[in-house]
Parts: sequence; C-alpha cells; structure tokens
Amino acid sequence: MHPLTVSAAFMAISSAFLLYGLSYDTKQLEARVAAQERKADIARSDIAVLKAERAHLGRPDRIEPLARAQGLVPLTDKQLVNQGPAGEIRTGAISR
Amino acid sequence: MTGAAKRKPQTHPSDTDLSQGEAKRSPAALRTRLVMLGMTVLFSCVAGQLARLAASPSPEMVAAITEPMARSYVRPDILDRGGRLLATDIEMPSLFADPSQVQGIDDVTERLGPVLPDLQQGELRRLLASRDRRFVWIRRGIAPKVAQQIHDLGLPGFDFRMELRRAYPLERLAGHVLGSVNVDNRGSSGIERTIDETIGVEPTLGAPSNAGVPVRLSIDLGAQHSLEDELASAMVRYESKGAAGLVMDVRTGEILASSSLPGQDPARASEVLDPGRLDKIQGGTYELGSIFKTLTVAMALDSGKAKLDTVLDVTKPLTAGKYTIKDFHPVGRPLTVSEVFLHSSNVGSGMLALAEGVEAQKAFLAKLGLMREMRTEVGPVAAPQLPKQFGRAEQITVAYGHGLAVAPIQFAAAAAAMVNGGRAVTPTYFRRRSDAPPGNRIISAETSRSLCGLLRRNVSERGGTGLRADVPGFRVGGKTGTAEMPGRGGYQEKSVVSSFLAAFPMDDPQYLVLILIFEPKGNSESGGEVLAGRNAAPTAGRVITRIAPLLGVKPDGDVATVLP
Repeated sequence: MHPLTVSAAFMAISSAFLLYGLSYDTKQLEARVAAQERKADIARSDIAVLKAERAHLGRPDRIEPLARAQGLVPLTDKQLVNQGPAGEIRTGAISR
Repeated sequence: MTGAAKRKPQTHPSDTDLSQGEAKRSPAALRTRLVMLGMTVLFSCVAGQLARLAASPSPEMVAAITEPMARSYVRPDILDRGGRLLATDIEMPSLFADPSQVQGIDDVTERLGPVLPDLQQGELRRLLASRDRRFVWIRRGIAPKVAQQIHDLGLPGFDFRMELRRAYPLERLAGHVLGSVNVDNRGSSGIERTIDETIGVEPTLGAPSNAGVPVRLSIDLGAQHSLEDELASAMVRYESKGAAGLVMDVRTGEILASSSLPGQDPARASEVLDPGRLDKIQGGTYELGSIFKTLTVAMALDSGKAKLDTVLDVTKPLTAGKYTIKDFHPVGRPLTVSEVFLHSSNVGSGMLALAEGVEAQKAFLAKLGLMREMRTEVGPVAAPQLPKQFGRAEQITVAYGHGLAVAPIQFAAAAAAMVNGGRAVTPTYFRRRSDAPPGNRIISAETSRSLCGLLRRNVSERGGTGLRADVPGFRVGGKTGTAEMPGRGGYQEKSVVSSFLAAFPMDDPQYLVLILIFEPKGNSESGGEVLAGRNAAPTAGRVITRIAPLLGVKPDGDVATVLP
C-alpha cells in the first residue's frame, strides 16, 4: 500500500477517535450544565420562597404589636430637644 | 469508415417482436417490475394513510399535543420605595389528571372532596368522564401541604406540575394598588396589569427563571400599614360602612400610601371581583363637601377678585332659582375671606364663585384637572361627574363641594398644587426622580402661601373645624368636609361622607393626607355628631402622628424641652 494511503487512513481513524472523545466530553459537559441549571433553578425557587416567607414574617401588622410590647412608640416632639444658647444640649436623661 | 458501416442497421419487424417477447419472458425484468409494483403499492398505502390522517385529525392526538403546553408567566417582583417585598413569584404544584388513566370516578371524587373542599364535585366528575382527553387541570396553585395530602391518596391518573404563582406575603396590605393576576399569572388589574402592559411578562413552562428588574413603587410600607390600621380603627370607632385615605408627596405626586376599606386580598379572586370592595380612592366618584372650599378660596385669591381681608356679607342666604343656600352654622355677621374658610361658610364660598363668573370657575377647575378623565398606573380613574349645565346654582354648589363628584385621588392631585407652591402634580404609584421638572403653574406661590396659612389656622386656632387633627410638633394644616350622600328623593341628611384634607408640615408642606369616612354614625366616640371635625379630622391626626416620623419629618421644637 502506498504510504500516503496508510497515513491518510491512520489520520482518519485518529480523527474519528478524537471526534468521538470530543463528542463524549461535550455530552458530559452538557449533562453537568443541565444538572447545575437544575440546581440553580431549585436554589432560585428556594430563595423566592424564603424571600416571601421573610416578608410575611416581617409584615408590619405582626411587627408593630411586638415593638409596642417592647415599649417602642413613634417618634414624638418630646423626644427631641433644641440646642441651648451656649451650644449645650442637656436632656432629662443626661442631666440625671 | 465505409458507407455500409455508417448505415443504420435495419431491423425487421418480426425481429423486434421477437426481442420484446424475449424480454417479457426474462426473469430479471419480471422481478424488477414486480419490485416496482410492490414499492408503488407500499408507497400508495403510506400516502393514503397520511391523506386519511390529514383529512380526519384524531381528537386524542390534539389533546395530547396541545393541552400539556399550558404555561404560566414570569413576573418581576414588586417592591415598596424602601425595597421591601410586596409581591413575588413562587413555584407551586398544580394538579392535573389523565382521564383515560383514572379509575373509579365516583371513588376518586369522594376521596378528593375532603382535601379540596371548594372543588365542585359535579365539575370534577364531568372533567374525569371525558375519556378522549389526556390532560385536564384539576386545581392550579395548590399549597405544598395540600399537594402532599393529595399525593398520599395515591390516585392513579393524577399528577402535579410545578407552576409559577404570584404570592403576596403582606396579604391585604395595599391590595387595591397591587391588583391581581389570573390563573396563568398574567396581570388582570392594578399594578400587576400595568406591568403586563408596559414592561411585559415572559411565558415559562414552570421552572423559575430570571424575571428581570423588580418594579419599585412609590408606596412606603410603614405609611401604608399605618394608614390602613387607622382607617380600620376609624371604621370600628365611628361605625362607618367604609373608609379610604391616601398620603401623597405634594411635590412629586408620588402616592406613599393608598387604602380603601373594605380591602381586598389580591390572592383571593372572590374579593377582587366583589363590587363591595371597590377601590374608593380611584374607582368611585364622590361629592367631597367643604374640602372643595380650599379650591374656591384659592381661585378667588389667585384671580385677585378677593383678598384674605375682603369682607363678604354672608348674613343672607343665596338663592338660585328654587334653591336657597344657607350656612349650617351661621355666624350672623359679615365675614372676611379668611373667616369664610375657617367657618366653612357655604354662602361665602358661593359668593366668591359668583364673583369669579361661570367661565373663570370652569377654567380654574379645568386647570386643576378636575374636568377631564385621569389615569394612573393602577388603572383608569373614575371619570368626574360634571353638572349637565353650569348655571348659577351649579356655580354655588360646586364652590362648596356639591354638584361635582370626583375621585379622591383626582381631588388630592388638585389640592397638592394648592400647598406645594402652586405647581401641578400628576399622581403616580411609581417612584419618580427627584430631579424631575416641576409641573405647570396653577396658582401663584403667594396664593399657595396664603392657603397654607389658612389651613394651618383651621387646625391650630380655637374654633377651627380641624382642631382635632393637630399633632404637636408636626405643624398640621387641614380642612374638613361633610357631604350628604345622594339617595332616593335627594340628599340623605344622616348619610354622609366625612372628609379631611390635611397637609404637613405647613411651614414647608411636603405631604398631603386625605381621609374619607363613609356613612359614620354619631355615637359617643364622635360626640353624637357625624361631622368630619369629629371623625375624619382626628383620624387624620392619628395617621400623621404615626407616619410623620416614618417619612422623616422632624418635629418642631416649639414644645420640646429646652434646658438653659
């Protein structure tokens, strides 16, 4: 057989193996990507549920009674003081 | 080459017949013809079958191909102005059945009944009896716990598909603003519908995907809750049939809170469709009563036809044809324009409107946007109900808030221009850029300042109708309005809409609060009266007490303890 024919046959067989390997790797990578995407979807779904649950637990009609039970109230004018003439600020709490 | 060689060979007819006869008899040619015939018959059968299928489509195939393609839509999250979540998409199981695989319809219906009590059993039987279908939805968007119960029943022919469903973690809060979605997760009302119409939503087959940039509203969650809570308390306190209110930034037109009670849960279709839960803020029109006098006095001051100290003789009633207009609480002496406002004189307001003239009054109302239809991101605002003809009687009645019915949000936009320095604002439920150009000038800055002074005096001075709305430190100004509701045979004296228009802080107004209480009762809480000064005004005060600190308004030090 002509050496050129032999080398061409060798190249063809090598290429076939190489392509098969590439194709196999690609399929594996595709499977990994799909698995990662599935995981990301599940994580995204979980995050959405957790966000909704956090918002539900933090809704104002639930938080407000808890805050009031702790003695917290909306800010009033009595909680602020104006600066004194000498630049000295004293509140009842500080003066005690 | 010779001429004989060039000559075409002559064949004898008898020779040709002979060769054809030989070919016919040749076994190879016969085989070829048989194969060709066989192939022709085979392909004819295939073609015939294809033609038959094309001519008569099988219903089973249509069902199998099209029905499982039902899809939901991915929606962006909705946040309040502080980035707090108001609505989001979450995956939920939806139950479907393959009727051809379902065994024992009666048994299945009986077992599903306790788990899905609101499922129509007759409808379920009908769905499961359609054996020619391969896919029917039984219930979409089931809670995971219920889905597990159904799964535990082990019913053959039933399965779940994960779909995106809209969740409203704050339940009824801002329900009217948010609107609702349909079974496919597409917006059907409110902000949800606007998202579909402007931003657009993408279809999906169930897997969660990136829904894009969240939609940020102008609503402030804290202010919204405070408003709803106080309105609900007011409904109980004054035994009213409904209540509504809004908080607006007077410079940008941003709505910081908007509520209408009875409210609606966006996740409950029955509540969304209930006409008794109409959004009164922009879905209904009302004669708002004396809060309209704010506009009348502004018109008179701005045109220069009157000044704050101009004296009007309000001792005699006004007449317009068969109608006589008089004051509910006559002072019995001539009043200045300031006093007309502070004493809420119908006669004085009517006189100011008459002095202005029909065309000027109509032009002023048009300039305020009260004569045309309005639209916000929540949907179209109910069109104003204008008087059929604008004569002397209409001039007078419109001056004190009767004869012209508008949606509260439309009035609030007009009133905002009265206190923000005189610039028109467009109400919006979306966040607006702080550097947005100011609106057209409606009234002069001087007129606006004068009105701010009057509104503040009405709340802070002894005898002012809005005294109960005052909140120490926050410089509240406001105007009361009590309008009799129209009914059979005319206006109903005992059936009123109490309203209070408030703004704060009046040294540099930033926020407007509008409160409406529908059909309150005169009980011990309101001193036996149904007047707005006894119900709507204190409600506005309570709302401002709670929202002013949340909105960053610093209390004035006029009553704070200052140590030397």
